[in-house]
Amino acid sequence: MILWSDRLRQSTPLRLTFILMAVFLVSILLSFAVAFVVLRNSVDESLRNQLAQQFASLLLIDDQTDLTERITQQAATADPVMQIVRYVPDAGPDITNLPGFVVAPDFGIIDGTSINAPDAATSYLATTTRVGAGRLTLAFARDQISELREVFWTVFILSPLITLISAGGIGLWIARTARDRVEAIRTTLNTLTEGDLSARVPASDHRPDDLTQIGLAVNRMAASQEATLASLQQVSADIAHDLKTPIQRVSVLLERLDNQGPLLDTQRDTVAAARMETEQIVRTFHSLLQIAQIEGGAAHDMFSPVDLAAIAATLTEVYEATAEDTGHVLTFSSSGPAIIPGEKNLLGQVVANLIENSLRHSARGSRIGVEVLGTPGSATLIVRDTGPGIPEAERGNVLRRLYRLERSRTTEGNGLGLSLVAAIVDLHGATLTLGDNNPGLLVEVTFPRADQPDK
Amino acid sequence: MKILVIEDDVTTGNYIADGLRQEGHNVDLLTNGSEGLIQASVAAYDVLVIDRMLPGLDGLSVAKTLRGAKNRTPLLLLTALGGVEDRIEGLNAGADDYLVKPFAFGELSARIAALGRRPQLTEAPTVLKVADLEIDLLTRRVSRAGRTIDLLPREFALLEHLMRRRGRVQTRTMLLEAVWDIHFDPQTNVVETHVSRLRAKVDKPFDRELIVTVRGAGYRIDTE
Repeated sequence: MILWSDRLRQSTPLRLTFILMAVFLVSILLSFAVAFVVLRNSVDESLRNQLAQQFASLLLIDDQTDLTERITQQAATADPVMQIVRYVPDAGPDITNLPGFVVAPDFGIIDGTSINAPDAATSYLATTTRVGAGRLTLAFARDQISELREVFWTVFILSPLITLISAGGIGLWIARTARDRVEAIRTTLNTLTEGDLSARVPASDHRPDDLTQIGLAVNRMAASQEATLASLQQVSADIAHDLKTPIQRVSVLLERLDNQGPLLDTQRDTVAAARMETEQIVRTFHSLLQIAQIEGGAAHDMFSPVDLAAIAATLTEVYEATAEDTGHVLTFSSSGPAIIPGEKNLLGQVVANLIENSLRHSARGSRIGVEVLGTPGSATLIVRDTGPGIPEAERGNVLRRLYRLERSRTTEGNGLGLSLVAAIVDLHGATLTLGDNNPGLLVEVTFPRADQPDK
Repeated sequence: MKILVIEDDVTTGNYIADGLRQEGHNVDLLTNGSEGLIQASVAAYDVLVIDRMLPGLDGLSVAKTLRGAKNRTPLLLLTALGGVEDRIEGLNAGADDYLVKPFAFGELSARIAALGRRPQLTEAPTVLKVADLEIDLLTRRVSRAGRTIDLLPREFALLEHLMRRRGRVQTRTMLLEAVWDIHFDPQTNVVETHVSRLRAKVDKPFDRELIVTVRGAGYRIDTE
């Protein structure tokens, strides 16, 4: 579930949905604000006009008594919630429908809370002008604006909510559909990378879109790779057969020559040298073929749980006597069984090649240590020696086929041992690092553990 | 033994056939897969030696067809392909052994001898004796001429393997497979070192050499 939501968070369509929703919300907010301001200004404008008209009609009355009477009448009928009237004559008592109301500035907005009335409106637009022999203040409630604000708030809150639910839902749906299809492509690519070139992205019943295009492209690529590999495998099988048959003949002929005796000692030596060369050709050829086959990935099908520590222990034992003869000290240690998914013989070859590499390149008296360390998540094979090591700049090169260090040109070996190790390590999804043993070479191969699900 | 060799390369085929005949075997040589299959089905052989790549019908198919027809004749597959999966594919097809080209004749001959079902040793299986050398499989005690010899576990296994197959050549690769369960060819001569260690304990202190080196092939413990 956690994994699922993590994947979803990384999903591009869903992220786009969220971004779009945010952009949408901000633009709604802005347009609403603008609309509100425009509307409010026009409401205020019409209130201002109404006020002006009222004043205009009162200013037309010349007689002070008539004026006072009109104002008194207006004050009596007007509801102070809607309209406040206050007339302060130069002589005589104030006329008002809201006692205690303060005189406002010219066309000012008065906050309703500042007015001493139980049910005053939220705000008023008020103005004071001299009318007849006194000052008249009229204030009109801006209740339309309050209503407007309320409506705007409601719409502003409701519409994003609807947007949020609908857009979020659709976004989630698209994201999940896309995720399933992306997942299918990802799985196919992983399977292809692991060497199973028969994997294909399942055909989708969706309308042809970009994902379908990618799926089709992946399938086309896999099909062409599969075809290439099939022909390559056929070619290498053919080459192997066509080359090994004449090599076999040569070794047959040499063996025959050897048995034809009596040969001179020099002739015998030449035959022996020719046989050794033939053997070397076979080894190099065999290693190249093996690397190509391992890189083909077919051996992946033969994986089973194997104990890396047991394999390393056996190989160390096999080489112990040889190491002793060449003056090396070969030791093995482990943290107990280390079960990994793998192919026993290939893993054995990794250990063998690493030990042989150390034996070949380190001087008498050097120590070679083979170690297997198991942790819950991984198993690590370490082969270290106290020989000359490999210069840091050369560490990438030595894994290349047929590459040999300048100083090793004269030593036996074909420059394929570490390439084969690298190919096998790769097949097992393990990582190979060449480091410094201060002094000497430190090779570390870390394998993913069997009890660990594949990523 | 009566042996059928199916190999399309004439030089290699004759070499195998001639070599086996010199060893006293009765050999038939064919160069075509389908002819070979028919011949192997109609005549009774002790061992079949079949090349993996053949005109007509390839060696794997010959092996599969024979096994499908309940033919249990021991079968050695010769092949140019030496990968792990090739070997397993060959063994799965029904081959009893698998030999990668090019091979030395000694290797082939030793493997054919191992395949040909010889009567099992009849003596009590707990003690093996050759001349004055005696090994007890239960107590894992080794003695020669009455003197106890201390062997490491793997040296004991090596000696036991040679003693059980006395009189038959065991090649280096056969020993690697049987004693260490290693199915690839190390570049270093690891087996020689182990055999020479064993010799230093079993043969050197005594006047007669029991573990014999067979030139171009491997090792053998001679019967009497």
